[in-house]
Amino acid sequence: MLEILIQGLLLSGLYALIAVGFTLIFSVGRVLNLAYGSYIMIAGYVYFYFSQLLGLPPIVGLLLAGILGSCMGLLKYNLIVKPLKGDHIPVEISTLILAVILQSAIILYFGNSAKILLPIFQGVIHIGNATVTYNVLAATLVSWLILIVLFVFIRKTHVGRAMQAVSMDSKGASISGVNINKINMFTWGISGFLGAIAGVFFASYTQLSPSMWVAPLIIAIAIVIVGGIGSIIGTLVVAHIIGFMEIISVALISPQLRGVFTMLLVIIVLIIRPKGLFGREEL
Amino acid sequence: MKVKLLRVVAISMSMLFATTAIAEIKVGFIGSLSSDTGLSTLRGAEIAIDELNAKGGVLGQQIKLVTADTRQDVTEGVKAYEYLAETEEVDFIISGSIDDVSLGWLPRMQEYQIPTLDTWTSYIGIIDMLVEDYDSMKPYFMNIASDEALATLYIDFGKDVLVDKMGWKSTVILQEDTAFGGAIHGLISQAMAPVAGIDVVETIVYDVATVDFAPLYSRAVASGADFIYLISSVNSQVVSSQYVKLQVPMGMTGVNVAPMGQDYWEDTGGMGGGMSTLTPIPAVGMKLDPASQAFVDTYQAKYSSRPIIPHFNGFNAYHGLKQAMAAAEEAGGFNNTTWVSAMEKQDLILELDGELWLRYAFWGNDEVEPRTGRKYPHNLRFDITEPFDDGAPSMVVIQWYEDGTNAVVYPEKYANGEFTLPSWVKK
Amino acid sequence: MGLGLKWYHFALWIGFIIFMLLMPEMVSKGTLRTIIFANFLAIFAISWDILSGRTGYISFGHPFLIGIGAYTTAILTKRFDVGVEYAIPLAIAMTMIGGTIMFLPALRIKGSYFALVSLAFMELMYQLVQVIRPDLTGGTRGMSGLVTLTRGAVNGYYLSFTIMIIVALSMWLLMRTRLGTALSAIALNEESVKGSGLSPTKLKLFAFMTSAFVAGLGGAFYVHYLGSIAPRALFDINFVFTIIVATLIGGASTIVGPMFGAFFLTFLLEYLRPYLPGAERYLIYGVIALLLYMYQPKGLYQIMINQFNRFKKDEDDG
Repeated sequence: MLEILIQGLLLSGLYALIAVGFTLIFSVGRVLNLAYGSYIMIAGYVYFYFSQLLGLPPIVGLLLAGILGSCMGLLKYNLIVKPLKGDHIPVEISTLILAVILQSAIILYFGNSAKILLPIFQGVIHIGNATVTYNVLAATLVSWLILIVLFVFIRKTHVGRAMQAVSMDSKGASISGVNINKINMFTWGISGFLGAIAGVFFASYTQLSPSMWVAPLIIAIAIVIVGGIGSIIGTLVVAHIIGFMEIISVALISPQLRGVFTMLLVIIVLIIRPKGLFGREEL
Repeated sequence: MKVKLLRVVAISMSMLFATTAIAEIKVGFIGSLSSDTGLSTLRGAEIAIDELNAKGGVLGQQIKLVTADTRQDVTEGVKAYEYLAETEEVDFIISGSIDDVSLGWLPRMQEYQIPTLDTWTSYIGIIDMLVEDYDSMKPYFMNIASDEALATLYIDFGKDVLVDKMGWKSTVILQEDTAFGGAIHGLISQAMAPVAGIDVVETIVYDVATVDFAPLYSRAVASGADFIYLISSVNSQVVSSQYVKLQVPMGMTGVNVAPMGQDYWEDTGGMGGGMSTLTPIPAVGMKLDPASQAFVDTYQAKYSSRPIIPHFNGFNAYHGLKQAMAAAEEAGGFNNTTWVSAMEKQDLILELDGELWLRYAFWGNDEVEPRTGRKYPHNLRFDITEPFDDGAPSMVVIQWYEDGTNAVVYPEKYANGEFTLPSWVKK
Repeated sequence: MGLGLKWYHFALWIGFIIFMLLMPEMVSKGTLRTIIFANFLAIFAISWDILSGRTGYISFGHPFLIGIGAYTTAILTKRFDVGVEYAIPLAIAMTMIGGTIMFLPALRIKGSYFALVSLAFMELMYQLVQVIRPDLTGGTRGMSGLVTLTRGAVNGYYLSFTIMIIVALSMWLLMRTRLGTALSAIALNEESVKGSGLSPTKLKLFAFMTSAFVAGLGGAFYVHYLGSIAPRALFDINFVFTIIVATLIGGASTIVGPMFGAFFLTFLLEYLRPYLPGAERYLIYGVIALLLYMYQPKGLYQIMINQFNRFKKDEDDG
């Protein structure tokens, strides 16, 4: 029981970290950024290049990945989202095309074979029957830290409240003097940064491969859909629902149905409560 | 405006009608140009062609290689085969395709009847197609021992090493949820375990997209078995490296695709020690006969990118392509009757220290392999009984050590290392 | 008939058909093989266009439908020795049942949400095909050596072109009827459709059924052309991607556009092959698709119409 609790918490933390950047864009910009998984993939490869191949300290690799992710976010906003005027479907299609392009670019440069990232933090501790790597523990702590900072930021700061306003009613916000463009830019930048940080942790836990963007994208989509747009609390809670569901199905039921349960949950929630479990009133 | 329009039409028409004239012998490569698997076959073929051309080519003509990328995608594979057959009009095709890609283009092979040599897939279902319908399948050859043969020899490993040497009596199977996983699982639970006297305590089937193996390993440890039996072909670096990262306190062996390449160590960033796996031959860590060693030397002098040593299919492509060209020389071309019978007779025995080490030959159509009691038309002639004097074994078991070295640990004739447990596992 | 048909519509269609029928005389077999794939892609793109181009219910899981058609006939012919003359209609019927299942969530959700549910359908199908009864489906490796209807490039070409042109023409005509116009209205405003006395639910069901019919037909003939089937080739995000991009590059909601788009994309990829054999090909292909789409989200169809209008204007001026 203890190990399920520990492993569940750790996996959920990682999932929350993956989903939070995606939530931001979906809430503020109201578009599904289907190239979100690419932040995760590219960040993993950037970290691999700088820290594993060139041997720079992990923190430098992590920061470089974050900065690059942030730049990608800004570029995406300026070159794709803005010209398409934020129209949902065209943005979704374009970001999907972009994700496929980035996948080919990675194959071209790094080849098709999967690679393993060294853990950012080495070592393990044993708690009961469960073994915990420092790396995943760090991912979970970072995830909690980011969620708390983001939550406070959105509640307490000027920019955060403006983001909230745009998320609820962008026309209204614009009338009351919020610079929508700036808020959007800011959100895309932050989202890219968070996606990249999540990417380095995700990759260091699993592997690097040119198709690795699909799995975290699906996790992020599932969490955001089930949680409901616009809810950081929702993201956190649902990341835990999905994380624990996964651990429980693997540990007690049937590991091969791991993905099926998540898919079913998404379909059922979408049909029964399209708004998601946590409505959409607050960010 | 009109002129511009006309020009566009003219250019697109000329592209549409472009066909190529051929004067040389054309060999087509089909496989993925961005995977280690595909590149091994491609480069094996390139080196063989260079060497043949330096000696005057085949049938008095130079050999030209054209490539068609499959991206390991089934539909792309069909298109690639059509491209080689109808646009490039190749005489012979060498393939580094994986199972479902080969199955995808096989109907095209049956239609065009182009001599084709597969070097990677070992799927017995393809050999079954030859058994059932020899006439339409006869231009097809597979110069890697098929699944059935790999499996049979592997049972001996269970008995000789896992039970007799390690003293293991029970296992927990950790199996990926694929057809490959299911097939190997059947073999282990129904054949190897009963014959060798190993008790399968539990089978854990996991989804290939699994990110986190911690709960799976916990479950395996909790089962109380003596060792973990891993079956993994997809994303197998993840499951291997998490075994090391989590320092799972239990021995593990199995069928694991990632450690079959020499690049495994770098790919896992050194997090891959302690893994052992069955592999087709010539495997990493295996001693080589002089001819195959010379091939590796040429390979390493010629290519600087990965794979640093060709995978087993690279050797198959190198030796197999030469055999295919020799068959054409004997048959006077690539006619699908005369070439096929000439290819069936090819026999290359490679010796090391005066002993048979590798053999590239094919099973006869009506020949029954005694131990498995079935036919293997056009499949590599393997040997699955000691002392391996009729052919090379269908597989060997290799082990990666924690210092990044590797060696063959089974069968004894080929072994140059010991089967061991990782240092963190208490004996 | 009130379909708004003009003389040049007939002229263009007939000209196109004659041109395509003469194709085997003009081009190499290799090129014909390429066109066969383009024909099938066109069928899938048209099927997608009927559903998503018209009604605004974006399907990211179209291979779910195509796969049902393809697998049904593959299993029936291979495992139960059913003749293709029965297997293909049964496959189409099964696909329409699949279309009904996909329609259910559309009663409640739309837009991006529907897109995601359809994607989930495809993913679910992908997993189920491999796990449930692999003795029937062939599991992960799929099946090979299925019945093929034609041999040789020329025959395959004529068969695929015939199916494609029948589908294209009938759908094009269908979309010009009042029913077709009403479908487009769903995307814009469901309330107004209701106001005009039509039932949006029935209309939507009709769109799903028609789309499923075409998908099933295309999927069934496709598998009997390939002679093999594998889950990884069908239920694949890249396959969805190709279908959607073909439709959008061509021009969604026009039927003719997706046809152009399918030809354009297939040829683009094949012509890059000799110059860029490796992964570069897909990079260039993706970049061209993205740029074209960003330049004109309404697709080649719109670009051609604009060019035509400008051309006409030049003519008038000069």
